[in-house]
Amino acid sequence: MIPHSARLKISRRSWLLAGLTASLFRARAAVNLTVHFDGDNLHVAAPQLHFLTGKPLNRLQDGSTVVFLSQLTLLREDRLTVFRRSAERLTLSYDVWEEKFRVTLGTDGRSVSGLSSATAEAWCLDNLAISALGMAADRPFWLRLELREADPRELSAVVGDSGISLTTMIEIFSRKSRTDRAHWTLDAGPLRLADLRLGAGHKAQKG
Amino acid sequence: MRLVWLACLGFGGLLAAAPQDPELNVNSRYLVETVIVAGDGWSTDLASEPNEKISVGLRRQILALIGTKLNPNLLDDLAARLRKEFQARAVSHRLKRGDQPDSVRVVFEIKVPPTRFDVSVPKFLYNAKQGWSGAVEGTGAIERNSFTLGLVSDQDELVERYTGLRARYENTRLGTDRVRVRFQFEDYHDQWNGATRNQLLLGGGPADLTSGVYRTRQNFEPVVSFVIAKPLTLSVGTSFERFEDQFPAAKTEAANALLATLRYQWQLEDSDTRQDVDAGYSLHAATRILKSDFVYLRQQWTLHYTLRRGKHTVTDGVQFGFLSGHAPLFERYVAGDSTQLRGWNKYEIDPLGGNRIVTNSVDYRYGILDLFYDTGAVWDSGQPSIARHSVGAGFRQGPFFLAVAFPVREHRPDPIFMVGMNY
Repeated sequence: MIPHSARLKISRRSWLLAGLTASLFRARAAVNLTVHFDGDNLHVAAPQLHFLTGKPLNRLQDGSTVVFLSQLTLLREDRLTVFRRSAERLTLSYDVWEEKFRVTLGTDGRSVSGLSSATAEAWCLDNLAISALGMAADRPFWLRLELREADPRELSAVVGDSGISLTTMIEIFSRKSRTDRAHWTLDAGPLRLADLRLGAGHKAQKG
Repeated sequence: MRLVWLACLGFGGLLAAAPQDPELNVNSRYLVETVIVAGDGWSTDLASEPNEKISVGLRRQILALIGTKLNPNLLDDLAARLRKEFQARAVSHRLKRGDQPDSVRVVFEIKVPPTRFDVSVPKFLYNAKQGWSGAVEGTGAIERNSFTLGLVSDQDELVERYTGLRARYENTRLGTDRVRVRFQFEDYHDQWNGATRNQLLLGGGPADLTSGVYRTRQNFEPVVSFVIAKPLTLSVGTSFERFEDQFPAAKTEAANALLATLRYQWQLEDSDTRQDVDAGYSLHAATRILKSDFVYLRQQWTLHYTLRRGKHTVTDGVQFGFLSGHAPLFERYVAGDSTQLRGWNKYEIDPLGGNRIVTNSVDYRYGILDLFYDTGAVWDSGQPSIARHSVGAGFRQGPFFLAVAFPVREHRPDPIFMVGMNY
């Protein structure tokens, strides 16, 4: 007869696995993606997403330019079929005298200086948008935000002597990220434009 | 799908628009006050300290940054050049506030891999008269210590063809950057040209001044080098060489010598021209004190001067050699190889080599085209010296060389074809 206490004994491996899983779930649950609709475009916000940390931050503080590539993707309800994509390039630098950040958008060249780390992150996400034109108001959809620190080698592969390599560009977001480059993927949904029109942002999360 | 492609095109435009624009970096409005380059245990402020570790051309490019507005793209280019020049694992750069307002200091940090392995071909040559010569080496390095193991078969350098292995340990920083130490061991099997054997069998003259042919040869050579001043290096050491004679009876003899080499390397570069001078003096003194069976004094002076201007390159190499006493065959001077008196067959000039040598080689290069003129003489003391000349042409690209050389003499020219690398 096996004593009751022995049957309930949890191994050290199980404790370790449970600890790791719990911390992972906490990390994933901590980042929310909020979606807003202005009548034409969908905008995102993620106050808990801090991408100006770690190696990218170190590189910025060393005076280097760091580029983040972002992509918003509208997905059908099945979360597989792509309806639309919108990409943006965010170029950041850090003023070694003023200790403030500068961000420049790739689409229209707009830039803003004198930002703190938190305001720079918020400004980047505020300026990401994807058109909702042609979407049925009551049809459920998902919105995915992908953010990745660009590898200079990726950039040089995309823009080469022979022009822009579209194949390479698609590969950047298709392939798995290099482990030493920061990257984030956040999903929000299922959403409906009809609900978003009501005014309140709708949020969902995915770490 | 069409939308995806459109999105990609738009995204491509974004990528193409920005990456090379230095204005994207907010620090590009600051002046560069100075540039600091830091490596493994050393650091130099290029604005105030000359640094010989960095080549003149690269140093000039780095110095050009000082006093100008910061261009981050230039920093990436210079980091790549430093990485190549130092064979570094990585070169990073960072900015620090300057002493003056609105100025920055640029710091390049060179990271050398703690361990590395490299396979190289120090020499590869085909000479129509002498056949193939070549060497391959594998080098493993841990920080400042390197271990090399190589295989070699060479009939170009000496009277003999020596085939075997060499092993070497080197420490390039013995307490200080100015002291290096090297231990080399060589183990060769030797083969001889018929002309050399016949000359020795005849006896008399130069045959009495040297050893007989030997079938094997081993050498152990510890050497310490001191960097006296940056362009001037003194190396001292010993060579414990022993070889097994074939005739008249198998016996082992030793040629143990003190070694000393003084070398001066200097480079001057301006916007149009670059000049390199490499001068050296070497001394081998074999003495009974080291239990040597041979007693001799071998001295050699060399001078190489190179002038480069655009695609034009002129090189002049001069060599004088003086050998006194009774020296084994591997110490005797040879010409008519792939570097001196090219076009002549060394066994035709003197199958045993000589104890005196004077040579001069002039090369003119335009792009990859190479024209050369060699002159010189190898002889033995007490014998008349005969000056010989040769001309040739070829192509040289990097370490690769292909040439045809003609001896200048009265009867029919007998050209020698040479092809190879690093010789």
